[in-house]
Amino acid sequence: MRLPSLRRFLTRRATRIQDELQFHRDRLIEDHVAAGLTRSEAERRAFLEFGGLPQIAEEVRDVRGRWLDDLAKDLRYACRTLRRNAGFTAVAVLLLALAIGANGAIFSLINAVMLRTLPVKEPRRLVQIARIVPDGGPVGVSTPLFEHLRGNLPSLSSLAVHWSTDLAVAIGGAEEFVTADLVTGGYHVTLGLEPVAGRLLTPADDDPASAMPAAVISERYWKRRFGRSPAALGSVVTIRDRGFTIVGVTPASFQSLRPGRVADITLPQVGLIDELVSEKTRRDPTTYWLSLIARLKPGATVQETDAEVQVLWRGFLQSVAAAAPENERAEILSARAGVLPAADGVNPLRYDHRRSLLILMGIVALVLLLAGVNLSGLLLARAAARQREVSIRLAIGAGRGRLIRQFLTESLLLAALGGALGLVVAWWFGTLLLTMVANGDAIELAVAPDGRVVAFTAAVSLVACLASGLAPALRAVRGHASPALKEVPAHGSRRLGQALVVSQLAISMMLTVGATLFLGTLVRLYAVDRGFDSDGLLIVDLQSSRRYGDQRSRAVKQALLDRLRAVPGIAAASATKVLPVSGSLWTKAIQVEGHASGSADAESAAFNVIGPGYFATLGTPLVAGREFEDRDHQQSPRVAIVNQTFARAFFGAGPALGRRITNAGVTYEIVGVVRDAKYRSLRDPVIKTLYVSWMQRQGDGPTDYAFLARPATRTPLRFAPIVERLVREVDPALQVRAAYSYATLVDRSLVTERLMATLGGAFGLLALIVAGLGVFGALAFQVSRRTNELGVRAALGATPGAMTWLVMRQVAGIVLPGIAIGTGGALLLTGLSRSILFDLTPTEPRVFLVAALVLATAAALAGWVPARRAGRVNPLMALRHE
Amino acid sequence: MTPGKADRQGSDLLQGTLDVLILRVIALGPIHGYAIARRLQQMSGDVLQVQQGSLYPALHRLEKRRWLRAEWGPSDTGRDARFYALTRLGRKQLEEQRASWARLSAAISGVLG
Repeated sequence: MRLPSLRRFLTRRATRIQDELQFHRDRLIEDHVAAGLTRSEAERRAFLEFGGLPQIAEEVRDVRGRWLDDLAKDLRYACRTLRRNAGFTAVAVLLLALAIGANGAIFSLINAVMLRTLPVKEPRRLVQIARIVPDGGPVGVSTPLFEHLRGNLPSLSSLAVHWSTDLAVAIGGAEEFVTADLVTGGYHVTLGLEPVAGRLLTPADDDPASAMPAAVISERYWKRRFGRSPAALGSVVTIRDRGFTIVGVTPASFQSLRPGRVADITLPQVGLIDELVSEKTRRDPTTYWLSLIARLKPGATVQETDAEVQVLWRGFLQSVAAAAPENERAEILSARAGVLPAADGVNPLRYDHRRSLLILMGIVALVLLLAGVNLSGLLLARAAARQREVSIRLAIGAGRGRLIRQFLTESLLLAALGGALGLVVAWWFGTLLLTMVANGDAIELAVAPDGRVVAFTAAVSLVACLASGLAPALRAVRGHASPALKEVPAHGSRRLGQALVVSQLAISMMLTVGATLFLGTLVRLYAVDRGFDSDGLLIVDLQSSRRYGDQRSRAVKQALLDRLRAVPGIAAASATKVLPVSGSLWTKAIQVEGHASGSADAESAAFNVIGPGYFATLGTPLVAGREFEDRDHQQSPRVAIVNQTFARAFFGAGPALGRRITNAGVTYEIVGVVRDAKYRSLRDPVIKTLYVSWMQRQGDGPTDYAFLARPATRTPLRFAPIVERLVREVDPALQVRAAYSYATLVDRSLVTERLMATLGGAFGLLALIVAGLGVFGALAFQVSRRTNELGVRAALGATPGAMTWLVMRQVAGIVLPGIAIGTGGALLLTGLSRSILFDLTPTEPRVFLVAALVLATAAALAGWVPARRAGRVNPLMALRHE
Repeated sequence: MTPGKADRQGSDLLQGTLDVLILRVIALGPIHGYAIARRLQQMSGDVLQVQQGSLYPALHRLEKRRWLRAEWGPSDTGRDARFYALTRLGRKQLEEQRASWARLSAAISGVLG
């Protein structure tokens, strides 16, 4: 109900009783006048016969029940008082809206990332089977594992594997890149999806002999590409020279198995997958590259399936271990796998962001608590100001319950206003947060408030306002009527007010500590030694509609690099398979010649394939030997470069150059040692790393590499258009998928940390402002109350400085307990954030010191204004004040 | 329904009488408060003195018991008035009360001869 109509509704009840009685009296008067009485005589007679309207109206209201009328009256009264105190209302509502909105926004993210289920039939029966890595999340299955499991799990009604990629497709000659899901035929059956047009994939689509395999498109792609035309069905899509017939459309509500991602087209893996994924990936039993989704039989449980999987998994591991070298067996056998509920699909977002979202929820809950305490303080101050009014009403017989209800009505109205505004804030803020989390990636999540978010927000605002309104309301109607009439604020309400300010400071302290921890983490991450110079580097990712043989691939790679280096203004260029700090880690089992075989772990190293001049381009200095050069090609002896940590681990102080390393039957000679550099992320410590040359590797196409270019001017993005043209010229099938600066990649790798620092900092700042306002309010009130005393002191010769100091001492009396309590609270809570901190412990004393100093400074600044005023009090002013 | 404060106060014979009289008047067709008062005066003459003001608490009480339903509509003078009509429940009540009144008055007549 809109506000004006609500008001009309509430006022109508009251006035219509009046109307009815008014009608009666007027008719009575008219009839008397018609009978010949004078107007005044008629009115007198009517009053005698009918009685007084207000009395009758009251009687009628007694009969009707007062509850709604009282509520209407209270609401009107509350509206009036809130409007009269527009400043107070604005501050309270704004802070509430911010706090409620922040809670709503974080909750809507949690809702979208962790609570929402896939829009499919009985999502609770969906499970995911995957290898599980120690630090959380499921990884997937390998092709041999899938084949090992398939058909051997009686508790499942169906299962399928899923792999997603970007693909170049041609429809009627026009080529474009789309997001694609490559699946086995049981995929749609397992999900229990119904088509909006045509049919979906079935196990029959797995037939490798099919001349024209099927393709299913999403509703969104149907609309974008075909304008929802029924003619789309039967159209032929060409992918890598293969034709696929579009047979159906998936519903709009279903985006993909993976929340946040939208698949334009879903294809059977059979045949096509051989073109896109290397034989090695597909055949390796320990490359867990597929997502396995399955549907439980009715009545079956996750535990049942898990028990079945464990048996099969052990058998699988043993067969893998038996085929592996002796020293790798222990590691292989230690791997774990399991069955996980997948009602929300295969959801890496949940594992990536769960902890930070929960911490953020904690932070915004503290902000809400702060807003509540602040509101409590404001309401208390208003209750104190209305002490006389309340006393008078108590004295003339108003019930305490009735008065409390009136105070709470005011809180309720604030809750409604704050909650409604908060919902808007939540929506806006939720979208903003998602943009921050996605950070340029295409994450498509609906964070618009749904029923659950609205209910959550409403509940939060209601609880917050009633909780913060209750204490002041109780306080206001306590005590006897008569003493309060003397206009001396009750001692108790002052103590409560003080306690509220102390709690505001305590909460602010906790939020400031959090902000300091997260900001400190971010600063330290950016400052950490990367081992390379990412500033001013251009990264170019490629995509192609063609498949490359080794010969052609080498030629294209070489040509790309030659052309890049020839661009005027580009000082150096190279290429790499894994971009440092991009979050990827590639490890290999190795044997080092002359090194005693230790544990399996000691004989594995991070691995990367790079182009010539890679270290010069990246700015990582060589410690010994040389870089890869153009002379390291297919026919020359295999060479490798290692980093310092690698050399130290295997050769100690001895020379590394000339030593030999074997991986997968190929032996490399070390020709260079480079300085240590970060590999997977800025957070991870440097690991032993082995680099090999891209020209000495088989099976990689040019699109498997990221190309790097370092312009002399450090303005990488200026070169993006030139590179785009150049790539097309080298090979018309090639296309730049993305060109971005290395700084962007670094920023993207710190999404969570930046989110936490930004939000932590923003809420910390908000907390400081609120705490400052609280201190200011409390002190200003005290100074005005003590004006007499201060005047006497001044008369007795106290200097302004001494009187200012007197008040500032009170600031200390509020701030110190606040900081102490806040420190205690923070010590209890910061441990939860341990995993997202970097180079800082949750109890780092310097962090607490900084937070305490910041808070104390804010409080001192806020207290300084009233303290100065106290210093200027003179006896005359004090007398006038009286 | 639990009786309210006002309900309990007036549950004596006279009040019951007023209620049944009101139901009887309204049974003739939708009618507003002033007309009910007029009709009551005509019907009972000077025997029953009804304070016109006490009519309204009674009307609203009967409405709350769902014996009456009320709605606003134009009166004979054109001005809007609140018209009352009997509900099915009200009609049943009227019949019951009429019957019990008949029994009571017959009994009293019998005693008084």
